[in-house]
Amino acid sequence: MASKIRVPRVTMANIRPAQGSQQNQKRVGRGQGSGYGGTSGRGHNGQKSRSGPGIRPGFEGGQTPITKLFPKRGFYNHNEKTYAPINLDRIQHWIDQGRLTSSPENPITARDLFESGCVHNVHDGIKILGDGAEYLKTPIYVIASRASQSAIKAIEATGGKVVCKYYNSLALRDCVDGRMDRVSAAPTRREDIIFYSNYRNRGFIAPDTLEKLGDMPFVEERWKLLAKELGTWRRQTSLAENMATA
Amino acid sequence: MLGKGASRIAGLASRKPGRLRAAVTKPLVNVRARSPVTPEAKSIVEPVYLGLTPSLKKGRWDPPAEKSVAILEPTVFKHPIRRDILHLCVVHHLDGLRQGSANTKTRGEVRGSGRKIRRQKGTGKARLGDAQNPMLRGGGIAFGPKPRDFSTKLPRKVVEMGMRVALSAKLREEKLGVMSRLYWPNGKTKFLAQKIDTLGLRKTLFVTGEAKVHEGLKRAIQNIPMVKLISTNEASVFELLKWPRVVLDLKAVEFFEETLKRQNVPILPAPLLEQTSSEAVESQPLS
Repeated sequence: MASKIRVPRVTMANIRPAQGSQQNQKRVGRGQGSGYGGTSGRGHNGQKSRSGPGIRPGFEGGQTPITKLFPKRGFYNHNEKTYAPINLDRIQHWIDQGRLTSSPENPITARDLFESGCVHNVHDGIKILGDGAEYLKTPIYVIASRASQSAIKAIEATGGKVVCKYYNSLALRDCVDGRMDRVSAAPTRREDIIFYSNYRNRGFIAPDTLEKLGDMPFVEERWKLLAKELGTWRRQTSLAENMATA
Repeated sequence: MLGKGASRIAGLASRKPGRLRAAVTKPLVNVRARSPVTPEAKSIVEPVYLGLTPSLKKGRWDPPAEKSVAILEPTVFKHPIRRDILHLCVVHHLDGLRQGSANTKTRGEVRGSGRKIRRQKGTGKARLGDAQNPMLRGGGIAFGPKPRDFSTKLPRKVVEMGMRVALSAKLREEKLGVMSRLYWPNGKTKFLAQKIDTLGLRKTLFVTGEAKVHEGLKRAIQNIPMVKLISTNEASVFELLKWPRVVLDLKAVEFFEETLKRQNVPILPAPLLEQTSSEAVESQPLS
């Protein structure tokens, strides 16, 4: 079945680069024919035609450069968290399509939202927002990093439950991976402790949240322990109060 | 809407699976499993058949070469010929071989004092500083070569394709042979040279896939001109192209197939027919 067309053997002598894949190097100062002879593409006299590094980038000849015209402003907050927003109408749509389900035994977490494609990237956590709350029909059980007030109201109106849990970056990654061997850390920063101890936010260590949830299957024993430990500040009386009563 | 600052959990969506994962993971209960993407129809490829070359020394259990056929992966041995890829691989190999030791002295390195040769003004001649100026005889070299590394990088996949193209090119030109085993228990160079001449295998590169190259063969073949023995981990596109003939042993064929074959390509299974003497062989064996 040999072809009639004779093709020369492939040897070192007849391999060459693909047509157009190699561009000739520009060599300046090598005569007029090249187009880059004489002044070698630098024009006549002036600072730019001299050897050396030239002017520094951003230099505008002495005029105040644009990088110096305007004042510096503000600071960069290293503790800032970017939450991935998710609205209630999207969750309801996913449930209607059958791509997402929730139950008291298995609440919706960041993992479920990410793996189902409801959320494309979890960033520093998930925040449930209330746009399209009128479309939420099914009761959903969800644990997120944060939830807006309208979202909380809408979820509880349909009979569902929402809890806001603290996730640091390691805990969030373990949640999305589905790892069960590690215990996720408790909040350490004062702002976080106060936020998650607040029933208004449905924080997981707020005593009212835990009371209202009662014996829901997804409530962990650890939350009750943390509520007691991290809620010590509530039970302490301040020095000023002590002085007043004394 | 998401505010400033990049996500701190970088690359969460693009993590490679299987890196430092926990042994126990929670099953995904709430999410419906996605149906697998149905791949588009792929044409079924026929394997390449190559008659075996008679071996240098036939082992007791080796099948007779005249009646044996090697069945080769078409994605490795019947790859379309890409001469430009071969060119890239050869140039990359040769770049790496360069010693890069050319060296010259600049005006700062030439030995000499810094004294100004003549006064700045009044002589009527050009102004000059020290005597190591490149314009002067005995001065330094301007922009001369300095020791440098000429090696280049080439994507691993280009090199792999180069290997596939080189093997396919050799097979197409009927310059590729497969022996069942590459060994020489005798150890005598004289008899090995005679055997190689009988088989017509001068100017041949022998590639063995054994973990330890057979010592007798290695020593015997060392002194025979126009013949070379290498193992698969030293095999390169340059070597395959340079030598007019290439002979692999079965282990080398397996090595190349394992490392170079394309996954998920449906290959027609080899028909297991009765052995008849009039059985035609697809490819001509080594000429």
